[in-house]
Amino acid sequence: MRDRSLFQRMFEPPSLTEMAPASRLLTYAILILWAIVVLFPLYWVFITSFKLPFQVNDGPDFIPFVDYQPSGHAWRYIFVELGNDTLRPYMNSVIIALTSTVLAVTIGSLAAYALVRIQYNVKIGTVAGFIVLLTATVFAITRFGTPWHITAVIALALFFFFATSFGRHFKRSLGNNDILFWIISNRILPPVVAVLPIYLMFQRVGLLDTHVAMIATYMAVNLPIVVWLMRDFFAGIPIDLEESAEIDGASRIRIFATIVLPLARPGLAATFLLVLILAWNEYLLALFISTADAQTMPLLVAAQNATRGPQWWYMSVLIVIMIAPIILMTILLQKHIARGLMVGAVKG
Amino acid sequence: MRVQLKDIRKSYGSLEVVKGLNLDIAEGEFLVLLGESGCGKSTALRMIAGLETITQGSLMIGDRDVTEVLPKYRNVAMVFQSYALYPHMTVAENIGYPLKLQKKPKDELKKAVLAAAAKVHLEDYLERMPRQLSGGQRQRVALARAMVRTPSVFLMDEPLSNLDAKLRGVMRAELKRLQAELGVTTVYVTHDQIEAMTLAHRVAVMDAGVLQQVAPPKEIYDNPATRFVARFIGSPAMNIVTGSVADGTVAVRDGSVPLERFAPRERVSFGFRPEDCNLVAPEDGMLKARIFSTEMTGNETIVTCAIGEDHVVVRMDKDFDMEADELVGIDVNPEKARLFDYDSGERVHA
Repeated sequence: MRDRSLFQRMFEPPSLTEMAPASRLLTYAILILWAIVVLFPLYWVFITSFKLPFQVNDGPDFIPFVDYQPSGHAWRYIFVELGNDTLRPYMNSVIIALTSTVLAVTIGSLAAYALVRIQYNVKIGTVAGFIVLLTATVFAITRFGTPWHITAVIALALFFFFATSFGRHFKRSLGNNDILFWIISNRILPPVVAVLPIYLMFQRVGLLDTHVAMIATYMAVNLPIVVWLMRDFFAGIPIDLEESAEIDGASRIRIFATIVLPLARPGLAATFLLVLILAWNEYLLALFISTADAQTMPLLVAAQNATRGPQWWYMSVLIVIMIAPIILMTILLQKHIARGLMVGAVKG
Repeated sequence: MRVQLKDIRKSYGSLEVVKGLNLDIAEGEFLVLLGESGCGKSTALRMIAGLETITQGSLMIGDRDVTEVLPKYRNVAMVFQSYALYPHMTVAENIGYPLKLQKKPKDELKKAVLAAAAKVHLEDYLERMPRQLSGGQRQRVALARAMVRTPSVFLMDEPLSNLDAKLRGVMRAELKRLQAELGVTTVYVTHDQIEAMTLAHRVAVMDAGVLQQVAPPKEIYDNPATRFVARFIGSPAMNIVTGSVADGTVAVRDGSVPLERFAPRERVSFGFRPEDCNLVAPEDGMLKARIFSTEMTGNETIVTCAIGEDHVVVRMDKDFDMEADELVGIDVNPEKARLFDYDSGERVHA
């Protein structure tokens, strides 16, 4: 072999599967740099939770025991003095985030699966009929004060009549892609626009500041994301598998449960995690819908920025205990977010 | 069980892909649906399975009309081209899946899985996952899964086409033996005429959604009902030369072949197989031709001759040695020659 200088060898991969020393150096340098960018705020929050107010204001102090003497005063305040006032929002967050996520993922997956495997053909006339009747119903109730249940029943009866007869005369129809677009269009408007109507709606039915209201809202807000993500995962499952199971004697529900869901597990895990984090961190909707009983953690964190100015030490403690379960969940679900599950299904 | 397709049609919107299919498949018969891709053979098979709805016509399995019956109630077993193994289940679970759905007791299920696995020599692989198997082994798992219960019909959609040539030959032989042992009616779809000829009791040739001919392999080969079948079956394909019939001979460009008892015709497709003709000296041959190319395959030589623009293939023995562009004569065995109507492609009988 030809002699190469050290400089040349820096840029040559030693083998097909290894990187050249120079590119390896560069790669790791970038990765370490990015890791610092990502991890430093977490470290900062963690050490701030052990600082006294004057240490925070004097700063910057980076290394506990060297730059400053850590103190547990903020932790004591949050857990002992606030006590139940910390625990309640925490439990609220857990209940609301978990329940809404489980519901959104369940309902969203079913919808996504249906949109992948069943061709819908909704006649435009039927859709138009529905909108017209809905408008008429609202108009009749508000303007003429007709009893709402009777009006609704009449409208529904008319709708089914229209759907079966009137709608058929329309050629144009909506397909699965239109339905999907409609679902995602629910997320196009910024939440600020929707928050007032939502507030008024829950006020009207007397559900403000309840778990039900929070769960329902979060579920509705996150459903489009679940449908869109899961649709891609379901579409990636070869239809041969489902047809084979069908011939082997499985019902549709059974196919979904024993073939489709296990194969979509990586997608389910990833979607679940994403939606859980969205629900866990949600602030704006919670700010409007909840006041005390259904208050969640993000609100409690924000509340530490009160009349006495931002109390970084308390906030840091809250943020640390807020991050912990999400990190735990990610570690738990990580092994399910594996690739290569489909290997061996079809072809050689 | 006996399977009857009565004037079955399938349309997607205005596009008709299966145009009135009539088939009567006897109990225990191995029927091969043969045709080019897109001819409707797979659609026909999927209609028997129940994976596609039947636009028109009726389908009987045994004495039962199953035209409108869901796949799971038809008791058919299907082997897919892609094998369609459940990747998250072991080989044993894959094979046992149909029985598990029937809620068979555990020990009975285990015994059946073992028996099915033994038939395809997979006993040692039961605890493996599909991804740990080779292509041929996956194919065997798919077969075992089809055989684990006693279906009324086996449906196979190009099951061997993803295997390499050598393995395909081995699996073909095994498949034929298994089918004979089990005696289950089998409908097998393929575009490979060798598979069709070697496996089938009867071959059904389809073209553009229309059934061309249903007959035993030998009959299909010797007496093709249409020009399409004649060209499709056989490798190299049957030679087709355009000519005319008059006075007990078929006249083509540069020669004529005596063919008695045929009514005179203006234009006709004159067909003969490469093994039913012979190369002779240019002045003795019925047809005059020029050698275009020769291919020695080992046991024989495939000689392509040019008659004007047409190419005619002749099968000669392996010692044949003539150079390209040499002039030759071609003698055709009149008894083996076939005539087809030039326009419709239908066989013309004497």
